[in-house]
Amino acid sequence: MFSSTRSKLIISFLGVTLLVGTVSLLVGGQLLYNAVLSEANTRVRLDLNSAREIYQNRIKGVDASLNITTLGPGFRAALGRRDVAELLRRLRRLAQSANLDFAGIVTNQGKTLCRIGPHSIPAETAQIPNPMAALALKRGDAISGTVVLSDDFLDAENPELAGRARIQLLPTPRAAPRPDKEETTGMTLGAAVPVFEDGDILGVLYGGVLLNRSQEIVDRVRDTVFQQETYRGRSIGTATIFLGDIRISTNVFTPDGKRAIGTRVSSEVKGRVLDEGKNWMDRAFVVSDWYITAYEPIEDILGERVGMLYVGVLEAKYVDVRRKALSIFILLTLAGIALAIGLGYLLEDKIMEPVRRLIGASAQVSQGNLSPEIGPISRNEVGILQKTFTEMLNSLRERDRRQKAESEIRLLQSEKQASIGKLAAGVAHEINNPLTGVLTFTHMLLRRKDLGDDVHSDLQKIAHATERVRKIVKGLLDFSRQTKLDPEPVDVNRLVRSAISLVENQALVRGIRLIFEPAEELPMLTLDRAQFESVLLNLILNALDATETGDTVTLSTGISVSTNHVSHKGLEIAVTDTGCGIPPENLDNLFDPFFTTKEVGQGTGLGLAVSYGIVERHGGTIRVQSEVGRGSTFTIWLPIGELSGQK
Amino acid sequence: MNILVVDDDTIVLDSCRLVLEAEGFDVHSVPSADAALETMENQDFDLLLVDVKMPEHDGMYLMQEIKKRWPEIPIVVMSGYPTPETIADGVNMGAAKFIAKPFTPDELLEIVRQVIGKEEGLETEKSSRN
Repeated sequence: MFSSTRSKLIISFLGVTLLVGTVSLLVGGQLLYNAVLSEANTRVRLDLNSAREIYQNRIKGVDASLNITTLGPGFRAALGRRDVAELLRRLRRLAQSANLDFAGIVTNQGKTLCRIGPHSIPAETAQIPNPMAALALKRGDAISGTVVLSDDFLDAENPELAGRARIQLLPTPRAAPRPDKEETTGMTLGAAVPVFEDGDILGVLYGGVLLNRSQEIVDRVRDTVFQQETYRGRSIGTATIFLGDIRISTNVFTPDGKRAIGTRVSSEVKGRVLDEGKNWMDRAFVVSDWYITAYEPIEDILGERVGMLYVGVLEAKYVDVRRKALSIFILLTLAGIALAIGLGYLLEDKIMEPVRRLIGASAQVSQGNLSPEIGPISRNEVGILQKTFTEMLNSLRERDRRQKAESEIRLLQSEKQASIGKLAAGVAHEINNPLTGVLTFTHMLLRRKDLGDDVHSDLQKIAHATERVRKIVKGLLDFSRQTKLDPEPVDVNRLVRSAISLVENQALVRGIRLIFEPAEELPMLTLDRAQFESVLLNLILNALDATETGDTVTLSTGISVSTNHVSHKGLEIAVTDTGCGIPPENLDNLFDPFFTTKEVGQGTGLGLAVSYGIVERHGGTIRVQSEVGRGSTFTIWLPIGELSGQK
Repeated sequence: MNILVVDDDTIVLDSCRLVLEAEGFDVHSVPSADAALETMENQDFDLLLVDVKMPEHDGMYLMQEIKKRWPEIPIVVMSGYPTPETIADGVNMGAAKFIAKPFTPDELLEIVRQVIGKEEGLETEKSSRN
């Protein structure tokens, strides 16, 4: 089945399609994915910058609001008077307007004077060190930034804050191992601004926002940077603030739909960002999904790495792009395969249809139909084949027609010979008896001396005429005689020479040149020597009769193929004269018994008929080519290789 | 010298009689093989001229019979259909010579003389031996 042209064609098409399809799938899919991924990476890097800006702006906001407050004369005066009530009123206003989680004032001795929250005026014994204020006092300048505060501090500021800061750690795959179960410290954006009076510090105003469980910054990042873009009901863009490796503020959700607070970053990212202080730009496994992510470390006011800022986009969207592209490639390949099969089928039909017709035609020819239908001639190489095939058929038909005509002639000739032979045998036998009487009595009368000269002369004429009759009857008998051949190996050239030697004198007398052109190295033939010699003599004598003084009769021998069977090799003997030639109307009757063009009494019309019979019984043929005024050629063809004369 | 001519055609019988009698032979002619055998019962002959093709018993039959009963008498076979086969058959049956019809008087005499001459030679040989 796979050897048919159709299968080959289809398989080739399929091969090409599959190759192209596979290469497109592998190379195209990868290239596309890389391009999309690189675009996504770039986008995430930019998004991280935006997120950092939002984060920094929030710090600046806290810083600015505190600064403005310290510049107010009412505040400064109240601070100078240590008017706690007035200060608290102003602090509460500030916290409300600047959205601060905590705010308070520390004296130049580092003691908390007052703060918003339930324990607004702490007792002397309940003082908690304030790291922000301490740093501002130490530097004598305003400070702002990220600050990690202990749960004691937060509890002192406001127990509610301590509660918000407390985060249960959730087991997270891929996270670095950690012994504790809970995070209690709070990560804050804070600022501390010293208030000066005549070069001396009156106190420090501090305030800040707690990031733990606050979604303000991360949601703003999501809403402004990713513009709430969603993919399958989930936000594409996510942002997270880490305290250490713990998510304290995030809009990454766990599979059960809660914010993933308390989950931790993978140990890989932690190692690179927190421990080494480098940025992470790559796909990463976040909580339960793969994201294209960017992480950068967050340093606190003392320059220590205390957390991380993260943005990421869901990889699924980009994977989906690749999957879609691959699906399209696969669809295209499938379409290509279908097209290849269809095209192969159609093309094969178109190309092979004429060939199939030719095959059918060949089969018909082999069964004997020489005029098969081969369909319209194509305009391609097959067309050349069709034309050649048609030409071959034409020459086959021509040969067939010629062979039929020839065999019809031969059959007719054989029938003629057979019937005339029988007739001749009967007639000859019956004529010979009375002829014996005529001859005897004429000759006996001729012996008598008592008859007159005129009677004698008449008797002579009777004797001559009777001799003629005798010759004709003898010729008839020779013709009718279906004698068995007596074959023996014969050297044809020697046979021709011996025949020539018998008529050489005749030719010499009549002034005709007799030439023999023998071919070299002819095979021996098995012939009836005597009968064949008579054939040759007959042909040579006919040639001599047809020529005038000064003409030439040429005999030649050679090898040639049969006119009937191309594969059949044979030997040819040709007798060519430059004599009068034979008119076309006589050519057909040439081998008929009693057909003669010689003058009455010169020929019996049996010579060629007898010769024909002899040659035919040797399995050979005689053919004639003649042109009036130019001469004639009689060619005897005898088969080589088989024993001649078996018929 | 007695010669018996056997032929169913009277013109042949007449021709042979004319030629041979002119040369001094005693000629008897009969029209069939059976008549020939009958004649030979009563008379001796020195030579037989026998035609091959005759109605009823043909020349071959006649030769066969003669060779049985008178094997020493030479026979010349005549035929109007002188094929090599006919000639060969005649010779095989013991014919001394074969002559094809039609023949001229000279041709017939030539043959007859050849056969008789041979026979005479044999006779001479025989007698000299005796």
